[in-house]
Amino acid sequence: MGAGLIRDLGFGAAALVFLLLIPAFGGGAGLNDFLIYVAAYGLLALSLNLLTGYTGLVSFGHAAYFASGAYSFGLLMQSGEVSVPVAFVLSVGFTALMALVIGAICVRLKEIYFAFLTLAFQMMFHSIILTWVSLTGGDQGLMGGIPRPVFWGIDLSGPESFYAFCMVVFVICALILRQIVQSPFGHTLRMIRDNPERAVFLGVNTYWAKLLAFVLAGAIASVGGILLALFASGAYPEFAYWTMSGQAIFMIMLGGSRVFLGPLLGAALLQGLNHYITGWTEHHGLVLGIVIVVAVLGLRRGIADFALDWAQSRRERRDAPADPAPAVSGEKA
Amino acid sequence: MDLDALFGCLSVPACAVTQVSTGLIIGMLLFLVASGLSLIFGVLGVINFAHGAFYMLGAYFALAAYQLTGNFLAALGAGALGMALFGAIFERLFVSRIYGRDVLMQLLLCYAFVLILDDMVKIIWGAEYRMMGMPQSFAVPPLFIAGGPVPPYYLFMIGISVVVGGLLWLGIARTRFGKLVRAAAHNPQMVGALGVNTSLLYASVFGVGSLLAGLAGALAAPVRSLTPGMGLSILIESFIVTVIGGMGSIVGAFVASLLIGLTRSFGSLGFPLFVDGAMFVMMALVLILRPSGLFGRQV
Amino acid sequence: MTRSNAPNPSLAKSSLTPSRRQLLVAAGAGVAVSALGAPFVARGAGAKLRIGMPTILSGRVAILGTSSRDAATLAVNQFNASGGFGGREVELVVRDSKGQPDEAARVTRDLVNTEGCEIIIDAEASSGSFAVNEVVGDLGVLCLHTCSETSALTADPKLRKPTAFRSARQGIHDAVAGGKYAAELAKANGLMKWMTCSPDYAYGRDNTAQFVEYLTIFAPDVEVVNEAWPKLFEPDYTAYVTRVLQVQPDAIYSALWGGDLVSFLEQANLYQIFAGGLQWFSGGLADPPIVNALKQLPEGLHSVFRYDPDYPDSAANKAFYKDFDAISETEPTNWSWQTYTAVQFINQALAATAGNTDGMALAQEVAGATVDSPFTESGTITMRAEDHTIIDYPVAWGRSRPEPKGFQDWERGDWEQILTMEKEWKQRQGYL
Repeated sequence: MGAGLIRDLGFGAAALVFLLLIPAFGGGAGLNDFLIYVAAYGLLALSLNLLTGYTGLVSFGHAAYFASGAYSFGLLMQSGEVSVPVAFVLSVGFTALMALVIGAICVRLKEIYFAFLTLAFQMMFHSIILTWVSLTGGDQGLMGGIPRPVFWGIDLSGPESFYAFCMVVFVICALILRQIVQSPFGHTLRMIRDNPERAVFLGVNTYWAKLLAFVLAGAIASVGGILLALFASGAYPEFAYWTMSGQAIFMIMLGGSRVFLGPLLGAALLQGLNHYITGWTEHHGLVLGIVIVVAVLGLRRGIADFALDWAQSRRERRDAPADPAPAVSGEKA
Repeated sequence: MDLDALFGCLSVPACAVTQVSTGLIIGMLLFLVASGLSLIFGVLGVINFAHGAFYMLGAYFALAAYQLTGNFLAALGAGALGMALFGAIFERLFVSRIYGRDVLMQLLLCYAFVLILDDMVKIIWGAEYRMMGMPQSFAVPPLFIAGGPVPPYYLFMIGISVVVGGLLWLGIARTRFGKLVRAAAHNPQMVGALGVNTSLLYASVFGVGSLLAGLAGALAAPVRSLTPGMGLSILIESFIVTVIGGMGSIVGAFVASLLIGLTRSFGSLGFPLFVDGAMFVMMALVLILRPSGLFGRQV
Repeated sequence: MTRSNAPNPSLAKSSLTPSRRQLLVAAGAGVAVSALGAPFVARGAGAKLRIGMPTILSGRVAILGTSSRDAATLAVNQFNASGGFGGREVELVVRDSKGQPDEAARVTRDLVNTEGCEIIIDAEASSGSFAVNEVVGDLGVLCLHTCSETSALTADPKLRKPTAFRSARQGIHDAVAGGKYAAELAKANGLMKWMTCSPDYAYGRDNTAQFVEYLTIFAPDVEVVNEAWPKLFEPDYTAYVTRVLQVQPDAIYSALWGGDLVSFLEQANLYQIFAGGLQWFSGGLADPPIVNALKQLPEGLHSVFRYDPDYPDSAANKAFYKDFDAISETEPTNWSWQTYTAVQFINQALAATAGNTDGMALAQEVAGATVDSPFTESGTITMRAEDHTIIDYPVAWGRSRPEPKGFQDWERGDWEQILTMEKEWKQRQGYL
């Protein structure tokens, strides 16, 4: 564990330095915005993958926690009573509590039923946002902007400091997720995914393990929501709509669920393609759709997963040069 | 909450007839779409996320055929059979390539087709609202049943849906094709080992499911405005129906559609603002108490 | 999520080892990733002045975006054909936000920061326009909102941005004009029992509440006996149509618009709800694409002006209709004339600043400006300086005619009265 932690920290620090240097080396405000956007959506996708990829629980309702983070943070800041860090902690805490209540009901169910129940809870949350107009502003969202008072000498109203803030938060959250995945608890989750009977046999309380994963994933998703709320200077009911959860799933599928950073790659790809194609043609749906079809039918798995398989098969071939059979077995079975 | 209005209506025959027929109108179109979704999931294990887009395409096919021929039956045929063909080809060319893969990969593929089809419709038919228009034979005053008005077109629509639903149920319960379909849902290898052409079987199941969505779209074309993206709301309601009724169950889809239809029609009197919420509460309750749905096989 | 009964499970094990073809796809994806950085290289100020336009080009309200874009394109083309200003041409950059507010915010920032747009025309609806408004407040560029009718956007001083304007009709103006028009008919024809049927979202609710407020101010005897709130983009209105049959009101006010209104009226026709003399007052019917889509337009429905090639009956309006028709697949909408007017304000301001695109400099020229307009009875339209919103635009009410489908008997709104009552309303809201 120790060596792994040091390696991860080193990697995280290097990534952070790289991200923070981008503005200095010719990245424009547009690129900064894009990276903030990818960071926010990336946290949504990475945290969802803790459930989907590592625990085998496919949630269709993960955006509820993303939106809960955005709304509670926005409301707390608009109240003018609390500072940014306090609002941050309170929003994450509130979302974790919400995830605990919903998760306690949902994780009893298996497979597709779990997926649909999480979806039902998310749509109820969405209905509440729309109906409780006096608090949430209904379909118009939290209007009037989210104030960003200075805290600890950090002024988030400047674009550079806001960018740096988002990158630091993002890297910390990604490292936390990484540690969860690498910890004994993370291995328990994988065992629950692959062989639940064995997990029970070994004395694992699968219910509590799944619930803990659900709460952790929800909490990290809420941080993504906070970043997006700060970026858009508001929270909107679209954050809690099922299409947002759908996007998160598509990011994971596109990027790959078996490699830790796969979902992040998916987030960058989907947002990047979206950005690029929207700027190029009005018919972005058509083009993006075709790109996805080609990727799905061509690779049949996420891009990072594909790279993983490719690297593994190369290694196997190098180790056993006498047996070339596996390399040509694909496709036509 | 206006429960007085709700109970007041139930005690007046004219009002009760109107609201019940309203529930049937909403419910039966939903049933056609949801039963197709349910059939495809039950047999192929594919969550056809593009099913709402198929409904939309059925409506536009009907519109095109109606503008060309002026014949309403031709429009219905174009919507239903056109989509059956489309669905079968879609299954062979795309879906069949990723059977046995992660279910989410199939979801991603279908999502891609939602994007593609929405854009295609916009390119071909434009972004503006379109209406097929009521066929001449149905452009008549409403009938009165126990004092409650019911337009003849809606009677026709309910009738067709019930007949098609009945045929579907008979087809699956009583015919050889139905037996194969049920067998394939349980044990695909066995069916393949028996020398049945499973490719053809899967394509036809997908075709029948798509036919149902296309027929619903064609039936909706005279009364609902056609726009790109119109499939989204019916897709989510179909999911609710499928979950409540039980995935793969035609009877379940029928009962759940009626339930949703009646909740909408009576809910709009008694608790108009919470109709949507009520549907999701029902769905959550079913999932918690009986995850396989009212009529689904117990897991 | 893996199912034991999925067809051909044997396939699942195959092709774990990537094939050559798959490698090519992966390589393609890799190139795509690295190419993603390219579009963020900021463009310098070029020969052309770029105007950015975030809007909705996909989904159910795509026509909002396409009809706004076409109007802006027409206005920009005309401006360039007349020589631009100082030899510098204007170029329009349109982006689809897909109706997502966070995307609207990002697209707007990107248009300014990366695409080098110096002015923003915000053709977003509802929540998107609030998101764009916040971004514009940050960036300080000139922005004209052309589709948001929510009064608070410009009326509420807390939301107002120094460089943001609204070139669009707004709820409170329509409410006064509509309330007065409806009240006079109610008094003349004894329409005492009213019902409302509007989409259940902020615009639908505010618009309807304000209409009812002014209806009862002008005609205190009328009574609203029932309210129906179908949700936005509801496909089936039968439940609400039959509610009308149960309630049997004398008149209905509805803020339904677009495809929703088309569906409602077609479904209402099946029940022939207009046969018994029921009066319909609509906040959105007289828009040419809606009138076109309807197969049956009943006679005598009332609607506020949205757009009509025959009103005002002027050569300038006819010319606009002809020119628009030449470049667009759809008929002009309410959003079209509003967006066209926005470009007129921008052009006039650019001429006044001699091409200086600084947000505050342009804002000073737009505030209080008056431009010639093909769309108004008076032939001009004014951007009120105090709250950055247009006045003197047409708030007429007319009646439908089935053959040829369209509207007639337009009654001009009384702007003097509207402005007086708007002021009182603002005081009540605490905006003044």
